[in-house]
Amino acid sequence: MATFISTLWEGVRYRGGIGNWAYLFHRLAGLATLLFLAIHIVDTAFVFFAPSLYAHAIDIYRSTPFMFGEIALVAGVLFHGANGLKIIVFDYRPDLWSHENEKRAAIIVFAVTIILWIPAAIIMGNNLIQCNFLHLCGE
Amino acid sequence: MKVHLKIKRFNPEKDSKSWWGEYDVNVDPTDRVLDALHLVKWYQDGTFNVRRSCAHGVCGSDAVRINGQNRLACKVLIQDIVKNDGDTITVEPILGLPVIKDLIVDMEPFFDHYKSVMPYFVNDEALPADGRERLQNIADRERYDQGTKCILCACCTTSCPSFWLNDDYVGPAAVVQAHRFIFDSRDRAAEERLKILNEQMGVWRCRTAFNCTNACPREIPVTQLIGEVKKALATGEIR
Ligand code: SF4
Ligand code: SF4
Ligand code: FES
Repeated sequence: MATFISTLWEGVRYRGGIGNWAYLFHRLAGLATLLFLAIHIVDTAFVFFAPSLYAHAIDIYRSTPFMFGEIALVAGVLFHGANGLKIIVFDYRPDLWSHENEKRAAIIVFAVTIILWIPAAIIMGNNLIQCNFLHLCGE
Repeated sequence: MKVHLKIKRFNPEKDSKSWWGEYDVNVDPTDRVLDALHLVKWYQDGTFNVRRSCAHGVCGSDAVRINGQNRLACKVLIQDIVKNDGDTITVEPILGLPVIKDLIVDMEPFFDHYKSVMPYFVNDEALPADGRERLQNIADRERYDQGTKCILCACCTTSCPSFWLNDDYVGPAAVVQAHRFIFDSRDRAAEERLKILNEQMGVWRCRTAFNCTNACPREIPVTQLIGEVKKALATGEIR
């Protein structure tokens, strides 16, 4: 655990450039997705085992902080996917990976993530505003 | 010009944890960071320690983290990292190896990883008919050229987040050294080395963060060489 935290901390402190950031985000996004999936599997199991708890879980999912979290999570999933594809390409063509290409590829990954994320964030954000701030959603 | 040095200090006999020592020194813009460190040691605080041998980027003994990046202190010019008079330069030991004192780390665990990949020439076949060299054409020699430039400074391995997380990972330097022999057409132990690197703490621990490539003072495309080893493992072809 100590090394995990110091790795995170040093990963932020180290001036490794964009590849270092891509690595960090990739790991964090992967961890966040895994955590979410694990929680999600458990609470869906509640439908069968404890329906009242399931209703409670759904309420939590509809709470404002959680919905913000979900919007961020989508960014994480998109980034993890895009960066994963970059790594796959790298594995097949190691010879392509000069300094410049690596930087360019990381920038493209960040850009693709943002481009895909904006529409998702708009749809989800719209939903959030309508339901949680304007209270326009039916129960 | 004047620069402000912030150096991470640690004396195992006195300190329970590391602390930042701050020093002002007068240097020329064309001096190297190592010169600035010498000024501190020689004229301000003789208890401060840094390791260096050649002072010309050949031996690999003065790898340190300068302004957040692993470099050789003897290869970084002051003018390349500071802009204005009085600017600060931070210097700390490389991360992931035990600190012996101040900027000096214990390189033994690093060399153990190096030794683990059989970094020597293996060929028990009979010598060529003339009893002399095993000849190689230019392309064959070129194939492993990059790896021959490595000076085992550990800049790469100690910049690797995977290595920070788990120092059982052999690390980029060991893979570079293995690459040097795996892709040598005269060598006969490639299979064995690949087997070692296929282990859990081998080459697959590399997550392509690229810190190592950015850190290498010999400009070796480290991540690319690692990628070639991975590919050889995945395809079973050494090309
Ligand atoms: S490319 Fe691989 S070996 Fe190099 S710093 Fe990144 S994870 Fe470590
Ligand atoms: S590959 Fe480069 S950074 Fe790594 S030990 Fe060799 S010379 Fe140093
Ligand atoms: S002192 Fe030899 S490489 Fe810097």
